[in-house]
Amino acid sequence: MNRMTPRRMSRRSLLAGAGAAAAGLTIVPRLGWSAEEAKLNFYNWDTYIGETTLDDFRSATGIEVKMDLFADNDELFAKLKEGNPGYDVIVPTNDYVERMIAAGMLETLDHSKIPNMANITPVFRDAAFDPGRKHSLPYMWGTIGIGYRKSRVSATPESWKHLYDSDEYSGRIAMLGDGSTIVGIGLKYLGYSYNETDPARIKEVEELVIRQKRHIKAFAEDNGQDLLIAGEVDLTMEWNGDILQVMAEDDDIGYTVPKEGGLLWEDTLAIPKGAPHPGNAHEFINFILDAEAGAAIADFIYYATPNEAAKQHLSAEYLENPAIFPPPSVIEISETDKYLGEDHQRLIDETWTRIQAA
Amino acid sequence: MDTWHAHRRAFWTFFLPPTAWLVLFFLAPLALVWGFSFGEKRGLVEIAINGTLENYVRALDPLYLRIFGKSFWFAALTTLICLAVGFPVAVAITFAPPRWKPILLLLTILPFWTNLLIRTYALIAVLRTRGYVNFAAEWGWERADAALAWVGLGDLHLLGERFEPLAMLYNNTAVVFGLVYVHLPFMVLPLYAALDRLERSYLEASLDLGASQLRTFASVVVPLALPGIVSGVIITFIPALGSFLTPDLLGGTDSQMIANVIERQFKSANDWPFGAALSFLLMYVTFFALALRAAASRGRSAMEAA
Amino acid sequence: MSAAAGRRLAPGPLEYGRRAWMRLTLLATFVFLYAPIATLIAFSFNDSRRNIVWRGFTFKYYEKAWNNDSLIEAFVNSLTIAFVSTLASTVLGTLAAVALWRFRFPFKGPHEAAMALPIVIPEICMGVAMLAFFARIGWPTGLPWPLNLGAITIAHISFSFPFVAVVVRARLANFNRELDEAARDLGASEWQAFRDVLVPYMLPGLVAGALLAFTLSLDDFVITFFTSGPDTVTFPVKVYSMVRFSVTPEVNAASTVLIAITLLITGIALWLQGRSGARQLPGKG
Repeated sequence: MNRMTPRRMSRRSLLAGAGAAAAGLTIVPRLGWSAEEAKLNFYNWDTYIGETTLDDFRSATGIEVKMDLFADNDELFAKLKEGNPGYDVIVPTNDYVERMIAAGMLETLDHSKIPNMANITPVFRDAAFDPGRKHSLPYMWGTIGIGYRKSRVSATPESWKHLYDSDEYSGRIAMLGDGSTIVGIGLKYLGYSYNETDPARIKEVEELVIRQKRHIKAFAEDNGQDLLIAGEVDLTMEWNGDILQVMAEDDDIGYTVPKEGGLLWEDTLAIPKGAPHPGNAHEFINFILDAEAGAAIADFIYYATPNEAAKQHLSAEYLENPAIFPPPSVIEISETDKYLGEDHQRLIDETWTRIQAA
Repeated sequence: MDTWHAHRRAFWTFFLPPTAWLVLFFLAPLALVWGFSFGEKRGLVEIAINGTLENYVRALDPLYLRIFGKSFWFAALTTLICLAVGFPVAVAITFAPPRWKPILLLLTILPFWTNLLIRTYALIAVLRTRGYVNFAAEWGWERADAALAWVGLGDLHLLGERFEPLAMLYNNTAVVFGLVYVHLPFMVLPLYAALDRLERSYLEASLDLGASQLRTFASVVVPLALPGIVSGVIITFIPALGSFLTPDLLGGTDSQMIANVIERQFKSANDWPFGAALSFLLMYVTFFALALRAAASRGRSAMEAA
Repeated sequence: MSAAAGRRLAPGPLEYGRRAWMRLTLLATFVFLYAPIATLIAFSFNDSRRNIVWRGFTFKYYEKAWNNDSLIEAFVNSLTIAFVSTLASTVLGTLAAVALWRFRFPFKGPHEAAMALPIVIPEICMGVAMLAFFARIGWPTGLPWPLNLGAITIAHISFSFPFVAVVVRARLANFNRELDEAARDLGASEWQAFRDVLVPYMLPGLVAGALLAFTLSLDDFVITFFTSGPDTVTFPVKVYSMVRFSVTPEVNAASTVLIAITLLITGIALWLQGRSGARQLPGKG
């Protein structure tokens, strides 16, 4: 379950703002925790930070950031489960924030140390998965929808039907190889909530997908966009960021969130329990939420930013891209993934095992 | 064979370091997970080890047994193909001029120093619909079609209206192909190690005495290579059984292997006790198979000694 | 069997026919092994971010890989771990193989089977076991390089040395054990008998085992991931997080460099071994 695939958009000119961001930040006073050594261990997805963000942070604060990488949320969770081996700031997705809060794995944030919270877009200032945003602040957000090859579809695939319940594109379909997404989107297609827990309805999705299997080419382990650009499939269920990358290289590829709605996700910045440098961590989070630093990151990794103040520094091309910022109508019908307890987790896993074994 | 107490010092020198390492840095961590397999999840992170057998009972469900069966079948097929391909390669290396041996050996292992993931992606680039095998096939098809047209058979479309690319990926054949690609050196290296400096005079004698190449091969080379074959089979079959990346990336919608299920238990399903139980089922089977083999071979050598 | 004898045998009519056939098999296998690698290397010079069409020759991805500090660091970490792990695994694996081959001792069957468990265990299960283990014994993190690689290296040795043991054991199975006994009967010390009789005979097994151990260590992702600390990214961990989406030529370039470096190191090692090997006794015959 990893979709963080920002690629270097080298053709895009970086905002000249990176340096300016650093300069602007020196105004922010150094905050407390003066006893901490000037180090920070940042645990992030690969290529999911601005090109010069870490250097800018160091010139602004003198704190050396060491970035380590994880490839998906499951790995992050499994690795921290036995105790924090020394990370200060992590980047979990919303449903994992919920899990980590439930498991007591996240530090409570001291909002007074993060004045740049004022820059956050109002809808992101509170979250169902983290009421009052006590443990996490938004970093980037996006959707799951359908990536498709324009010249090979009869019309824009406006329904999940094309993937779940139709032989029109038989053998040219890829789905995400992740049980909970397949089941969740299937539930949406059938008109239920993404977070439906009724076993009978989940069974309905199971039967639907098993019937559809002969038309599906592969459950792609998060490389649906590769299959799409290589011409291996013509429709794929994917994270918008992945499709955006290949759209930059091939004009024949499009992205849409079907009318039944898709999945909304939000990546957050959080401090795991036992972080050795909590003061620096707060300072780092504050830095990322700075308008210019945030703009430099968004412009580089090309994901939707929840930083309202950053938007004034970003190009129209970025702000008006429907694959980055979907229209409000799409957001309205889409849902976020909720953590629904361990029994539900087990039911989904067994369903997924049966789907693949069938 | 020496008994251990006849040469105590030598015995402990050989025996102690690897055994101590195994106990400290493998069996001790393993014991933790073994405990989990008799445990129960309490909430998100707590595991209460209460001696329950529920995880094993669940693992014996026909759903999982079928996946076990399928994985065994894939691994067995892979091992067989590796043996068929690897044996001639190992023999060729063995009989190569001494100067060439290290080079050939290095050439055999070199592709495996590329990261497994990158290698698998490279394999995809070769096999996919718009990959090199299909480009070559298409080129051949066009030439053949043109040749047919030239001899006046063009209207019959003997080769079909147009070129149909071969679908080599996203099915079970692709998984086995990928597994062979990944595990070949695990077969070649032990075979080579067993065969190298093979007593050539045996072969010579066998051939001089009128035995055919094939007969010599079957009754001289294979028995001499037997320990190599056994160890090759062990270190090919077992890792192949535990593959999860290859079925993930090359498989179709029904190619999941048991290691995919196990991996999910430790990750998205967050069910460590069940994942541990599945892992240990795999280990119990192999452990007993190997212990039996060791006992059997000891029995045999005891008989030979008698 | 000396080189001279090999040459004497070579022209034999039967032997020769066998060789042509063998060469063909060898060639076919190498094509099978190298076609994907050749594609990979070729595309590291391709002036496009996708490995699909050829768009012209460039070195820029090498430049990019070279300037990617975290990639270089991961690279150095991986080679360091692989080197130490190979050395230790070869020693431990050989000792284990000799112990099992030479001695009769109680519970030998289970001991032998236990030795094979690291081969059997699913990677993720061992990864989690190591994670829980190092967390519970309070293994220190944040040590200076290269000590921070300790946990990963220990884990690598644990899963590599049984492979060496299996390979060396297979090699020893054909050894005439009386030779070893005779050497000792004739007054050679244990050490002399080991060094002058057993080691030369085991050499192909040692080389094969070491190559396997090196490969396993260099390629491991799962177990490494779970044993790594905040500042110990290895090459596979870096690659997995970079690549799970699409292979960029930068990764191809880094892989090509890795192949070149390891080739160079092993080439030198083999050359040295060849020089010293020429002076050693043949093991048998």
